[in-house]
Amino acid sequence: MYAGIDLGSRNVKVALLDDNREFSLHKFDTVSFYREHGRLEDGQLVVNLSGLGLGNVNLKAVVSTGYGRQTINLKGARNIPEIKAHVTGAVHLTGLDNFTLLDLGGQDSKVAKVVKGRMIDFETNDRCAASTGRYLENMAAVLDIDMEELSRYYENPVDLTSTCAIFGETELIGKVVEGHPVSNLAAGVNYTIFKRIKPMLIKLSSPTVVFTGGVAGNSALRRIIERELDVEVVVPKHPQYAGAIGCAVTAWKNNEK
Amino acid sequence: MQKVGITTTVPVEIIYAAGMVPVDLNNIFITAENPQALVEEAEMAGYPRNLCAWIKGIYATVQKRDDINTLIAVTQGDCSNTHALMETLELSGVKVIPFAYPYDRDYDLLKLQIEKLMDAFGVNWRQVNEAKERLDAVRQKVWKLDELTWQQDRITGWDNHLYQVSCSDFNGDPEGFAGEVDAYLAQVPEKPKLNAELRLGYIGVPPIVDDLYDYLEERGARVVYNETQRQFTMPFATDDIVEQYRLYSYPYGIFYRLKDIEEQTKLRQLDGIIHYAQSFCYRQIEDLIIRQKLKVPVLTLEGDKPNKLDARTKMRVDSFIEMLR
Repeated sequence: MYAGIDLGSRNVKVALLDDNREFSLHKFDTVSFYREHGRLEDGQLVVNLSGLGLGNVNLKAVVSTGYGRQTINLKGARNIPEIKAHVTGAVHLTGLDNFTLLDLGGQDSKVAKVVKGRMIDFETNDRCAASTGRYLENMAAVLDIDMEELSRYYENPVDLTSTCAIFGETELIGKVVEGHPVSNLAAGVNYTIFKRIKPMLIKLSSPTVVFTGGVAGNSALRRIIERELDVEVVVPKHPQYAGAIGCAVTAWKNNEK
Repeated sequence: MQKVGITTTVPVEIIYAAGMVPVDLNNIFITAENPQALVEEAEMAGYPRNLCAWIKGIYATVQKRDDINTLIAVTQGDCSNTHALMETLELSGVKVIPFAYPYDRDYDLLKLQIEKLMDAFGVNWRQVNEAKERLDAVRQKVWKLDELTWQQDRITGWDNHLYQVSCSDFNGDPEGFAGEVDAYLAQVPEKPKLNAELRLGYIGVPPIVDDLYDYLEERGARVVYNETQRQFTMPFATDDIVEQYRLYSYPYGIFYRLKDIEEQTKLRQLDGIIHYAQSFCYRQIEDLIIRQKLKVPVLTLEGDKPNKLDARTKMRVDSFIEMLR
């Protein structure tokens, strides 16, 4: 069995790949994952995998990625860059070779152009997390709706101009006061995400966009991208696990070499 | 000897000809014990948060030192933030001498600027040319160091950066600095070979972080071309000091800089280029031109605070290296 671990900012995702090439997927809250299952040994994170409740796992190799890998090396695991993990996961999940990968996570937005299964260029957000999952969570909280409700609306968006996730809240409250219906406000929130990622998607455009990461569950955003950019948007099954699956696939392929 | 602060490379021959010592304030700021504290001091004084950390660092550096009372500020060929830096320092009693590189690299205008600077320091052409000869002898040693960097595989990107960037003021002691370069060059054959198969160029202003080069080398990539730092060594064989500062590319437009970058990319067989731009700098706009013009893959890095790479930048560097493989 092979394990891929994506140490995300919001969740730690674990993908286990068994000998029948079947995945089992597991998700942990990042903070409690570090608190309850990890301990530091010589500056490396040691995770008690048997304590995760994943059953009896006999691991041949572990590959990890994610924001956490910069600060913590997972002991016994090989670390690979996040974008590589996500591209590998997306190729594996979709079977596609030529596409633009859009991965929107808790604090990250990444866009990569993939040609013949290889990444040829990429862009990421930098210095600012306004186009990420955390922003959507904040805005949903302001509107007092859940993420599922938020992701329903894309028609008649109110115009939100602030690019800052925090000032955006103030602006949104202003719009609430003006009396706009929740549907238009939610559509406006979804559009702000689109506006932030649009330049990256255009720069690295392909006819097909593979959309992964936790935010890929937002179907309104998927519709907006399709409509505004005239592209096909493919959301693989379990989009949030693309990085972990990419790690598990890397572990498996490296081991078979 | 009287010290003269400089905000970027200027014709230092004039300062040395006057028997004074140039001090590159960028170097003093970034090698301070706690450069971030200097940035915060400037913010406390009223400098905006969303402004280049180099400008803030220089401001606080000059405020702190009582041995720098005169400053040459480059009013054209660097950035407009320098104007406000000059003015705020003037407010605290520093004597500011402006110097402008003409945007179109016009020979006569540049000559006039150099002559004005000579007047300000009370030196003549003979003295300036003598100083140039003195400094050129030191520069030639650093040219050698740069040449060995890309022709061999024993000089790290950091060392290449450090010795070249020091040529903006020669650490205030050209002969002492030359001795250091000689000693370094003598050691080169004994240095271990660098195990880095990818050859990178670094373009843009020198980095505000000091661990980029090591980080790259640990991952199998090394910088064999530091664009601006190399320009500080005036790598041009000319006896004419006006022509020298006309060939010097940093203060002029991006298209002129790109000629040099393209030439060196080919010569040094670069696999990729890192374009570094400081947060809030107008040069971030020029990134789009650089990306369109250069034929090799480009990674754009944005640096804000000194002194270490942050996690996101590391992630981007890792992905870039992975992509080049």
